[in-house]
Amino acid sequence: MAAVATSRWLRFRCKLCPTLRGQRAGPCGQTPSCRFYSGSATVPKAEGANVTGIEEVVIPKKKTWDKVAVLQALASTVNRDITAAPYAFQDDPYLIPTSSVESRSFLLAKKSGENAAKFIINSHPKYFQKDIAEPHIPCLMPEYFEPQIEDISEAALRERIKLKKVKASVDMFDQLLQAGTTISLETSNSLLDLLCYYGDKEPPADYHFQKSEKSEELEAAEENDEKSKKADHQFGVTWRAKNNAERIFALMPEKNSHSYCTMIRGMVKHRAPVQALNLYTELLNNRLHADVYTFNALIEATALSVNKKLEDKWNNILELLKQMAAQKVKPNLQTFNTILKCLRRFHVFGRLPALQTFREMKAIGIEPSLATYHYIIQLFYHHENPSKGSSLIIYDIMNELTGQKFSPKDPDDDMFFQSAMRACSFLRDLELAYQVHGLLNTGDNWKFIGPDHRRNFYYSKFFSLLCLMEQIDVTLQWYKDLIPSVFFPHSQTLIDLLQALDVANRLEMIPQIWKDSKEYGHIFRNDLKEEILMLMARDQHPPELQVAFADCAADIKSTYESQDARQIAPEWPANCLNYIAVLFLRAGRMQEAWKMLGLFKKHNKIPGNELLNEFMDSAKASNSPAQAIEIVKLASAFSLPVCEGLTQRVMADFVISQEQKEALGNLTSLTSDSDSSSDSDSDSDEGK
Amino acid sequence: MFPRVSAILALRPLSRFPSCSGGSEAPAAAIVLLGAPHGTVRYRISALLVLTKNNAQRYFGTNNVIYSKKDEQSAPTPEISKETESQESVKENRKKDLLGIIKGMKIELSSVNVQTTRPSSRRQLKSVEATVGRLQKAPEDVPKNRTQSLSPELVAAASAVADFLPFDKQTTKSELLRQLQQHEEVSNAQKDGERAKISVSNIISDMKVAKSATARVSTRPVHQIQFDEGTDNYMGQETDDLKKRKNMLKGKRLNIFDLKAVTEEAPETETAPSLWEVEFAKQLATVNEQSLQNGFAEMIQWTSEGKLWEFPINNEAGFDDDGSEFHEHVFLDKHLKDFPKQGPIRHFMELVTCGLSKNPYLSVKQKIEHIEWFRNYFNEKQDILKESGIQFN
Repeated sequence: MAAVATSRWLRFRCKLCPTLRGQRAGPCGQTPSCRFYSGSATVPKAEGANVTGIEEVVIPKKKTWDKVAVLQALASTVNRDITAAPYAFQDDPYLIPTSSVESRSFLLAKKSGENAAKFIINSHPKYFQKDIAEPHIPCLMPEYFEPQIEDISEAALRERIKLKKVKASVDMFDQLLQAGTTISLETSNSLLDLLCYYGDKEPPADYHFQKSEKSEELEAAEENDEKSKKADHQFGVTWRAKNNAERIFALMPEKNSHSYCTMIRGMVKHRAPVQALNLYTELLNNRLHADVYTFNALIEATALSVNKKLEDKWNNILELLKQMAAQKVKPNLQTFNTILKCLRRFHVFGRLPALQTFREMKAIGIEPSLATYHYIIQLFYHHENPSKGSSLIIYDIMNELTGQKFSPKDPDDDMFFQSAMRACSFLRDLELAYQVHGLLNTGDNWKFIGPDHRRNFYYSKFFSLLCLMEQIDVTLQWYKDLIPSVFFPHSQTLIDLLQALDVANRLEMIPQIWKDSKEYGHIFRNDLKEEILMLMARDQHPPELQVAFADCAADIKSTYESQDARQIAPEWPANCLNYIAVLFLRAGRMQEAWKMLGLFKKHNKIPGNELLNEFMDSAKASNSPAQAIEIVKLASAFSLPVCEGLTQRVMADFVISQEQKEALGNLTSLTSDSDSSSDSDSDSDEGK
Repeated sequence: MFPRVSAILALRPLSRFPSCSGGSEAPAAAIVLLGAPHGTVRYRISALLVLTKNNAQRYFGTNNVIYSKKDEQSAPTPEISKETESQESVKENRKKDLLGIIKGMKIELSSVNVQTTRPSSRRQLKSVEATVGRLQKAPEDVPKNRTQSLSPELVAAASAVADFLPFDKQTTKSELLRQLQQHEEVSNAQKDGERAKISVSNIISDMKVAKSATARVSTRPVHQIQFDEGTDNYMGQETDDLKKRKNMLKGKRLNIFDLKAVTEEAPETETAPSLWEVEFAKQLATVNEQSLQNGFAEMIQWTSEGKLWEFPINNEAGFDDDGSEFHEHVFLDKHLKDFPKQGPIRHFMELVTCGLSKNPYLSVKQKIEHIEWFRNYFNEKQDILKESGIQFN
């Protein structure tokens, strides 16, 4: 009150200000600091006599800042550091996560630590009474979840409802009823709210280990209950006939529309659409009116109801909307979002109604939220078959949205960016993807990207699209910018990047990419490793690059070997063995290359023809017939058809002794015997 | 063994070209290329193949506008005979070019087919479908008498081109054929010595320029109508023109609610929010909850949780006095109006206000009450004051 009065007064004063200022300036300058000085009583009097017309000093209104305004201003000056881990992960450097699994467990660990502390404080409040903070900080003090009012009264019931003690509230209600007390409509309605919202079950606790307060017997009694509870939690709680909500609803002597509405909403929430629709009829029979939330629930119920044609469902929804209009119930954003959400299940049939619904909401001036667009995009692109061609509605949506800033209006608002990027990726339209990304970075819109997995999905799609369509330099710029400070790439994302590098002929980046992927926990991704090895081994490269590639190959090889130690079935793909051997060979690491040949035998894999030829080339280069014969031996040991050709090469290219010749002769005869049997093997090998 | 063919290497940079330059450099590039007409045409079309449709059309349009301008410049030259000659040779060259282009296209297409990384599926599929569609629709769209005058080579070439261009194949093909026919007529007329003002390139450029406007719409496949069952006309009407293309978000609505009824203010009944509303609000709050971005964001969170001193940091933390301000606490003289202007009571009261103004623990209201108490006190003691000769009021 005081503040309002002051401001009114000040406003009035301000009007006078210009006229007064001139008069005041002079005398104030001469006698500074005398006005409110109370040291002597005589001075003001003299002053008052001399200078008439001086009014009180107008004190400018205190400027009030929001308590976080300073911090917000400061926070806005901090930009994202692409070289650092996200702020949430900044802790002990040893703990900074390097893969998506680690980051998840990091956040979970942090959260569960907080929960554990809270749990201890709340379960032993008597030990945490000392209030050290001045001023007092309520959120650090233990909360009281136990009801304080012991006697049986309506106040006690209200308290239990407030504390969301479902069972205790129902017990209290029954006791009150038995005692013959009449319970006010308001209280019974809020009890119904509680029962309907949670489906006659205790609300799920914020932390899972809350109920240690209960006594042992209770625990045992509830053990059986527990199992059914778990089953319920999987699909949410389901509405059971004759549950407490229905019982209390039936017991209530007078019911208003709120009682009916909350029952209907509860039934729909817990998947009992038929009962909900029946109750709506009952509500109409009692000449009551439903509110907009109830209509929203009823729309959902209509769509949920089984064994009905899509067309009938849609007509029923329209019927409900007409009733809303007739009863002068104003639809809200949720009404239309519910319709669109339900229309998603109609697939192709839902498209036209969805567009009409959207136009309707625009026409009556309800601003769509991000979720609205999400539903439309899903409807138009989710079950899209590329051969059918695709809708272009996303372009209209993006034109509409570009530059807007959003505030949360619907629980599904955080799905939009994911589905928009999915559509971009589906349409292979990079420009559109940039547009979506631009929208994400407008204002605070980035907050709508949703939880971790959705963010990963969004950025993976975006980055894959970049790999496909963007210039390699720009792609690499994005790579630096996004990974790992925004998301940790999936191995498929890295394969996409490798393919982009391949297409742009920038294979020299591969060792770096391998290093990164090791960092991001893809050591055991065989497809990724195979892709890397394949790209490195495919063509000849300048010697320096070959050396780098061989180092990388050795590194990859070691991952296979360490896998051996971990007792996971060691599976050396034949391709990888081939590639690694070739890479060693080309880098001149002969010993290791020969060791690789040994591995073929050990793991019972068949070396490729090109590999053997390349070995032969190197044997020739070093002019060692012994090696050449060794190769032929190996080939014959696998009964490869290439053996014969190799033998001829040895005969032609090398100076060999008689003994060696004989040995060769034996080998060849052996191979030719088993040629036919090995054909299929070698064919399949060549196919790779 | 290695599925990715490096033939695509030459194409890739081109495909990147629009997205990085944003289209503004495109005309410039086209002008540069115009220098050598033979190579240029092929280059342009091969570029077209791999470009995203919109950009492709933009290119096409711009190129040809420039081209036609050039022609207009050369038109007024006096050497008529030379002109006609060149026109003829141009015509010949074009025919060759066209075939060359098509050959080039086929090669490039096969390479597109082979490589796996390019997103080519949509276009290819469409071209296949279009071929199927053409088989059914061909007779009505292309009157036979038209094609008669054209050599079968050209007809085949035109249909091949039509297959590749991303817009409606049938129209493209018939248009191409029509143009070729006109083109033949024109050159025939020119052979007869009649100089036609319209140059061949003008015709073609006109056609292309008109086309370029269709950009995105024309990429919409005809087949989409199939699954929409045509209850709404939004698909059917948008045939060719972008400007005519309806924004899908605008159009027929359900017409159930009345704007007036919805917007008119209903008398709001103030009720306490029910559990449903509270929980919904909580749910909404989690929607844009993100992990903290920086230390200041964390401080903001702590501040709103009440764990941190509020900024600006001063000695008023946790001090709530109904929003009254500093001066109301300190300048209390205005409450002394009813007291005598001088004398011991005045003096005493000034000391009281001085003390009060320095007291941080009392609210303004309490301070005023305190002064009030003294006023009442002195009022009650009027008689004593009178006795001692002190004046009050």
